[in-house]
Amino acid sequence: MSDDKATTPTELFQEWVTQWERSVDSFSNKLMGTDEFTRAINSVQNTQLQMQKVFGDMMAKHLANINMPSREDILRLEEDFQEMNARLARMEVQLEKISGATNAVKSPKPKGPPRTKKPPSATKDTEAKH
Amino acid sequence: MTGNAGNSSIKDRVNQLVDRTVQRSRKGFDYVRASKASVGLTPKDLIYDKGTLQLYHYRPIADEIYRVPIIIVMATTNKGYLFDLLPGQSMVEFLLKNGYDVYMIDWNPPTSKEKHLGLADYTQDFIPSCIEKVQAETGETDVSILGYCMGGVLSVMYAATHTDGPLKNLVCLTTPINWHEMGLMTHWNDERYFDVDRLVDTLGVIPGDFIGSSFEMLRPAQKIASRVRVWENMWNDEYVKSYRAFDRWGSEYVPLAGEYFRETTKDLMWHNKLFRGELEIAGKKADLANITIPIMHTIALHDHIVPPSASKPLLDLVSSEDKEELVLKGGHVSLIAGPNAVKRMWPSVNAWLGERSS
Repeated sequence: MSDDKATTPTELFQEWVTQWERSVDSFSNKLMGTDEFTRAINSVQNTQLQMQKVFGDMMAKHLANINMPSREDILRLEEDFQEMNARLARMEVQLEKISGATNAVKSPKPKGPPRTKKPPSATKDTEAKH
Repeated sequence: MTGNAGNSSIKDRVNQLVDRTVQRSRKGFDYVRASKASVGLTPKDLIYDKGTLQLYHYRPIADEIYRVPIIIVMATTNKGYLFDLLPGQSMVEFLLKNGYDVYMIDWNPPTSKEKHLGLADYTQDFIPSCIEKVQAETGETDVSILGYCMGGVLSVMYAATHTDGPLKNLVCLTTPINWHEMGLMTHWNDERYFDVDRLVDTLGVIPGDFIGSSFEMLRPAQKIASRVRVWENMWNDEYVKSYRAFDRWGSEYVPLAGEYFRETTKDLMWHNKLFRGELEIAGKKADLANITIPIMHTIALHDHIVPPSASKPLLDLVSSEDKEELVLKGGHVSLIAGPNAVKRMWPSVNAWLGERSS
């Protein structure tokens, strides 16, 4: 008997979970790898998309008739707000930079570390010479 | 004596079992109540923001850094904090400690105004703009790119269409090249059944849930099994912390711009143009043979999303003389932040890049 065989209830349970996962994945992959499955899921998806489009168009017309914004209108507004916020944030950064430039002596931009690091082989060569 | 030792061993095991069961119940309660895991904690600055695109600069922590900065190009389907999951489990942190100046291209969900973005926008506008920003920030002309999964695909497309560009080194991590070897993904996207035009024209932007459920269907039992395992390991704080971070990352899929999804499906998945050397982007031929710069490719042996047979052809197709392939045990995600990543992938990338970044 091999030493790495599960002995405790915990180990046996862990092994069972691994086996279960493998067998379910393997069975599902076989099933989902068939032409029939691909045809079926794509057909369901196409039907859903068709319905989504029809209902979406219908709802948009209905909302327009009663002078209400559609979901798309609301989403577009949300995106516009986000864009405006992003623009404001960018302007804020620019303003900070400009005010930083006028106070350049007071707050110089911190410089990063020197870009002088040598490759490990060069360091080893130098150490070997010493 | 043997009998006593045996008794004490059984006693220890029973004690351990009881102790863990008690801890499981206590910590399980905390686990359920816990808020989202804190991830991506390495200090960084957003230096460029253009709609779906975000370019971050991680603050250097070494006293001396390599001359050539490195830009990580994240996969378009997920958030970039996979590279900076937790302190000690972060490739970004590792690179910073080893003297690299690290930037990252990360992706926000595209808005409906960005649904028209295609491969040309990503490879001829986004990546070049980010390189220009990095050049301006660092004062250096050369850059290295590290692309993960679809980020790797965009990176090789950029490299193949900018042969006289500033790219010094290219590191690809599990990058699909032969899209006809993508297993079930290839099958599900079969041209005969999958109406990509209808999908894109109806939705505009492809929802993250749609992308996520396709990935999850590849391993339907994985989620349940991993939840059972976390319950089993609930007494182990480190395990739970890591699981929560991975779980958060694995449930945050980034939606895709419709046109980008359409082009990826038609040009790559259906017609395999990148592999065949027939891909054209914005009038330029994206032939992998155009790539001559040093290139490293890391492949995950048990990758169920990008199987090795899909990623392996990369090095055969490029013209680079300086090329290296690293095949590691592990999956698509554990390759970046799993135990083998810490032990082997990160040090290998460091050793390779370190020799080429001065």
